[in-house]
Amino acid sequence: MISFASFPTVSDYSGYNKPHHPHGESDDAYMDLDADYDQTDGSRLTCPGEMLTSSQDYMRGHGTYVVDEDVIASVAGTIERVNKLVTVRATSGRYNPEVGDLVVGRITEVQPRRWKVDANGRQDAILMLSSVNLPGGVQRRKLESDELQMRNFFEEGDLLVAEVQAFFITDGSMSLHTRSLRYGKLRNGQLVTVPPILVRRLKSHFIALPCGVDLILGLNGYIWVSKHVKAAEQEGEEGFDAEGVYSNVNDDIDETTRTAISRVTNIVRILASHFVPLTDTVLTEAYDWTVDQQGGVKDLLTEDFGDALVASLVSRS
Amino acid sequence: MSTVLLSKAEKSYITAGLKQTTPQRADGRKLTDFRTIALETGVAPLANGSARLYLGRNLNDNGGGTEILAATKLEVETISADGSTEGCEGGRIIVNVSCSPAGYPHLAQTALEDFQHDLTTILHTTLTHPTLRPKNLGILANKKSWLLHLDLLILSDAGNTLDALFLAARAALWDTKVPRTRSVEYKAPKTSVKDETGFAGANVTVQGGDMDIDEAAPSGFDTRSQVKLATDFELPDYWDEGEDLDGRDGWPVGVTLNLEPPVHFLDATPHEEAAVPLRFLLVFSFPQTAAASNKPYLQGMRTLGGGEVSLSQIKDLIEVGQKYAEELYTALNVKLKEEDVRRTQVARERFEAARR
Repeated sequence: MISFASFPTVSDYSGYNKPHHPHGESDDAYMDLDADYDQTDGSRLTCPGEMLTSSQDYMRGHGTYVVDEDVIASVAGTIERVNKLVTVRATSGRYNPEVGDLVVGRITEVQPRRWKVDANGRQDAILMLSSVNLPGGVQRRKLESDELQMRNFFEEGDLLVAEVQAFFITDGSMSLHTRSLRYGKLRNGQLVTVPPILVRRLKSHFIALPCGVDLILGLNGYIWVSKHVKAAEQEGEEGFDAEGVYSNVNDDIDETTRTAISRVTNIVRILASHFVPLTDTVLTEAYDWTVDQQGGVKDLLTEDFGDALVASLVSRS
Repeated sequence: MSTVLLSKAEKSYITAGLKQTTPQRADGRKLTDFRTIALETGVAPLANGSARLYLGRNLNDNGGGTEILAATKLEVETISADGSTEGCEGGRIIVNVSCSPAGYPHLAQTALEDFQHDLTTILHTTLTHPTLRPKNLGILANKKSWLLHLDLLILSDAGNTLDALFLAARAALWDTKVPRTRSVEYKAPKTSVKDETGFAGANVTVQGGDMDIDEAAPSGFDTRSQVKLATDFELPDYWDEGEDLDGRDGWPVGVTLNLEPPVHFLDATPHEEAAVPLRFLLVFSFPQTAAASNKPYLQGMRTLGGGEVSLSQIKDLIEVGQKYAEELYTALNVKLKEEDVRRTQVARERFEAARR
């Protein structure tokens, strides 16, 4: 049965009309960066138009601009400071890569000796043919014949997990590599996208949930949810073959695993919509909570259920 | 035409889920489940009718989902006998669909133009069909008529754009008000002056003898005098915006059946759209006839994608599609009436506040 919903009524937004200036009672609108910085372990939220500091004492960085010697935020986000440089890191937007980050990307283009990869950054990332593990052993040298069959490894649309290796000096785009047995082409699951800021840097971004679901939390906000693969079954050094690593064929996935994958995907979506950062413990707790509620996977999509889930997680932590 | 890239593994994951004994979809919906649809009418104050539609949008953070803005605007058009102008007797409708580039960051400009042209063609051919033409778009016989522009803007696309477009178009057309007009007639100067106060309804003739008409002897080249009833029209200043567009119950709804034989499903996400070989769009209108009101009438049909479907399958699909369309139609009508009530309420409150 199809039903139509309404938009939130205007009264929901009436809060905007009420005068509730955060700095109303105190005169700290001229923020003392040093004092604030120490108190709140470096994370303070700001919104566009808010004055951060004086441009005589500080330099303006990304996400700020100067009007009449005041440094003013141009985006909503957290204030960061390095010595005398003040920047605002936006809460929403594109992924800001750093070397060593684990990302999930999608091939957009095959070019001579390289692939272009969409990794939710400002520019497409680049994966060089020399930065992938070729079939026949890690030590194998790149051959000319490999250049001619690059689509056998990755073709347009393929998803892969990789690490940020370096940045190109010319245009600042990121270069990826998949020279590890944990990296490479993705299969047996589905992708879900969240704002990149919600994925924190963790000890490991490969998460195995007890419900038989594996997650790869890409720092670029692309999250791969897939069927659990036992560590022993992962391709070893000797068993590194093109069929296994660059395969496009899924394993058999039974219905319970599929349901679990859908459930985890919907949980990730709910958490993202409530702006809850994702960690393995949060995801496990959320999964258990939804199973306890005995709701179907579809119920997760309703707004009330999502609110209740987040409320229970907040009360627990 | 799919707007997203998908890997082979993802495609087979989606299709394998659909082919199970109990079919499963990526987000846990049943095959015939729609995502949440949010609808609001009267969003553009300068338009004659407008609607905003979100399909599958999370109202909590305003993220994801297909977002469509639809608006109608009426324009006066001259009808010329020799066909030098495009206006035609009884008015006409032009439908245009445009896609916001922000909604399709991965598409190049040319691909985007192709895409919106495809959508425009589907909507234009369906909605401007003579069987659906409203009867009150004429102003003066053989002189003036209304040209109705229906513009739809896709602000973001999260799948099932065509169904959403048809829903938004129907809502905007439902909301459309046609301004009331009165005909004005110029009489020859020597006739007696008669004041006319006819205000009973639309298209009342006013005979105004005091119109400024040339008193001098007519030139041989002046052909105006030969046209005895040179008429024009005026808009009476009245409290409401006009009358409803005729036949507003009849505007069609579209249902896209995504075919992954042996199953079909509704309201696909972009990934699902990219994974299925064939999609089948059915458009049903609901003409108001004396015999049976609101009986669905197949107004249009289109296959999208490279797959094949046999004639016998199509028959079955039309039958089930009609059922879905009726459900959608009923739900949408309830919502549109709710919206009318809500806006009357808002207008009344505003009036009360202004009077105080």
